Amino acid sequence: MSQESFAKSALHPNPTRIPVTRINKGRVIKQAMLQLLVVAVMILNLIPLVIVLSASLRTPNNSSNPLTLFNEFTFASYKSAFERMHFGMAFWNSIVLTGISVILVVIFAAMASYPMARIKSKWSQFLYLFFLAGLVVPGQMVLIPIVQMINGLHIPSTQYTPILMFVTCSLPFSTFLYTGFIRSGVPDEVEEAAHIDGAGLFRRFWSVVFPLLMPVTVSVIITQGIWIWNDYFFNMTFISKASQSPLPLAMLGFMGDQQNPTQWNVLFAACILCALPLLVAFSFLQKYFVGGLTVGAVKG
Amino acid sequence: MNSTVMKKTMYFFAVPALLFYCIFWIFPILKLFQYSITDFNGYAQNFKYVGLSNFKDLFEGGTLGNSIKNTLIYTAISVIAGNLIGLALALLLNQNIKGKGFYRSISYIPTLFSAIVVGFIWSYVYMPDSGMIATLFAKLGLPTDNLNFLGSYSSALYSIIFVEIWKNVGTTMIIFLAGLQTVPQDLLEAGKIDGCGTWKLLRFVKIPLLATSITINTTLSIINGLKAFDFPFIMTNGGPGDSTNTLIYSIYKMAFTEQMFGKASALGIISFFIIIVITAVTVLTMNKKEVSA
Repeated sequence: MSQESFAKSALHPNPTRIPVTRINKGRVIKQAMLQLLVVAVMILNLIPLVIVLSASLRTPNNSSNPLTLFNEFTFASYKSAFERMHFGMAFWNSIVLTGISVILVVIFAAMASYPMARIKSKWSQFLYLFFLAGLVVPGQMVLIPIVQMINGLHIPSTQYTPILMFVTCSLPFSTFLYTGFIRSGVPDEVEEAAHIDGAGLFRRFWSVVFPLLMPVTVSVIITQGIWIWNDYFFNMTFISKASQSPLPLAMLGFMGDQQNPTQWNVLFAACILCALPLLVAFSFLQKYFVGGLTVGAVKG
Repeated sequence: MNSTVMKKTMYFFAVPALLFYCIFWIFPILKLFQYSITDFNGYAQNFKYVGLSNFKDLFEGGTLGNSIKNTLIYTAISVIAGNLIGLALALLLNQNIKGKGFYRSISYIPTLFSAIVVGFIWSYVYMPDSGMIATLFAKLGLPTDNLNFLGSYSSALYSIIFVEIWKNVGTTMIIFLAGLQTVPQDLLEAGKIDGCGTWKLLRFVKIPLLATSITINTTLSIINGLKAFDFPFIMTNGGPGDSTNTLIYSIYKMAFTEQMFGKASALGIISFFIIIVITAVTVLTMNKKEVSA
C-alpha cells in the first residue's frame, strides 16, 4: 500500500515545491509507520479473541497449546457447547426477554420525556433530575429489597420477571436521551398544525412527535438492547429453570470450566456462540450501532 | 407557545414510567434504609430493630475500609487509563489510514461481549502455566514462575481492572471519535500555519474542543467503576483474601452468601452516599471546566 500511495503522489507531482521526492518519501514512511502501529495495536487488543476463536474450532479433546493458531478446523466443540447450553432455546429466550423489555422501554421513556421536555416548570425539572439520579444506583444494591418485595407482592418468579428490572434500570438513561432530544431537536411548532386540526395530546404525541424521535429510539434500542441482552445478573436472580434461561445465564453453567484447561475448547465455543448473535447484528447494522452510541454524546 | 397547546395533562404521559421507577427503584432504596437498622437475615420476617449497630460493626470491621479502597483504586485507574487509551486509539484511528473503518469496527467488538464471556476469556488469558500470557512468556523464554495474575494478592485487583478497561475502551473510543469529527478542519490548518506541532495541536486545539466527550466518558466510567461487580464476581470471587472485594461485591456477598441482609443494607446505604457524592462532585467540576474551556 505504501507503494500505491507513493505511485499516486508520483502521478500528480506538485510543480511549485522543489524537494518533491523528499517530502513524498517522508510522507510515505510516516504513513507506513502509522499503518504498522495500527496493526500492532489491533493485534495486541484482539489477540485473546483470536486465540479463543481458533481453539473453539478444535475437537473438544485436542489439548495442544491454544497459541498454535488454527491447526484444526471442526465444529465438534461447537456441537457439544450447543447442546450443553441448549442454544436454540436460550437464544429464543434472549430474543423474547430483550424484545419485550426494549419495546416497553421505548414506549415508557419516550412518553415520560414528553412532558419533561415540553413543560417548563420546577416540577418537570424535578422529574427530569429524579429519573437521572437513578443512573448512579447499582442494581446489585437494591436487589435485597427487590427480592423481598417481589416475593411479598406474590409476583411469580417466571421467565418474564427480569423484564421489570430491565425496564426500570433502562429508564434513567433513556429518558435522559429522549428529553435532551425533544428539547433541542423537536420545535414546538411542529405540533401546532396538529393542534389546530383538533388532534388530542395523545394523537399529537404518537403521530407527530414520536416519529421525529427516530434517531434517539434507535439509540435507546441499541444501548439498552446490548446491556439487556448481555445481562446475567437479574436473570440469575429471578430465573431458576434451565428451560427459561437466556444466553448469558446458560453461560453461567460453564463457570467451573474456566479453571480447567481440558474443557477450554468447548468453553470457548460456548463463548463465541453466546456473542455471535450480537456480532452478526453489529456487522449488519454497524451504522446504527455507532450512530446510536453517539446521539447522546453529541447532543447531551 | 401558549399553555392551551402544552397542557398540564401532559404529565399523565409520565405515569407508566414513574410507576415502574418508583415501585422497582425508589421504594427498594427506601426499604434499604429500613433494613439497615435491623438484624434481617433474608428469610425470617420477625426481624428486630437493632439501631445503628450494623453501621457500628461496619466501621469497626475491616470490610468497609478495604472495599472502599478497592473501589476507589478500581475507579481511578479505569477512569484515567481507560480514557487515555480510548483517546489514543481514537486519535490513531482518526488519522488517514487505509481501512480505518474496519479497524474502528473491530476495536468496538469487545464491548459487544457479555461480561460473563469476557470474564471467562480473561480467566484463560491470566491462568498460570497454561494460560495465554504464561504460554506466551514460556515461548519467548521469559520466566513464568511469578505469573499468577489472579491468584496473587498484589496483582489480582489490577488484573481485573485491566479487563474492565479492555471491555469498555471501544465505547470510549467511539465517543472520542465522534468528538474529533466536530473539530473544525480550518482551525487545525490555522494552528499548523502558526507553527503548532502535533503535540501542541493536540494539547491546545483538540483537547479543549473535546471537552464534551471528555465529560461524558469520565462520567460514564466513574459511574461504571463505582458500580464494579462483574469481574470480581465472575473471575475472582473477591479473592484472593479480600483483595478484589469492591463495595458492590461485598454487599452481594454479605447478603447472599453470609445471609446478613441487615448489615449488607447498611453497607448499601454507605455505598449509596459514597457513589452519589463522588459522582456529583465530578460532574459539577467537569461542567465548570467545560464552560471555561
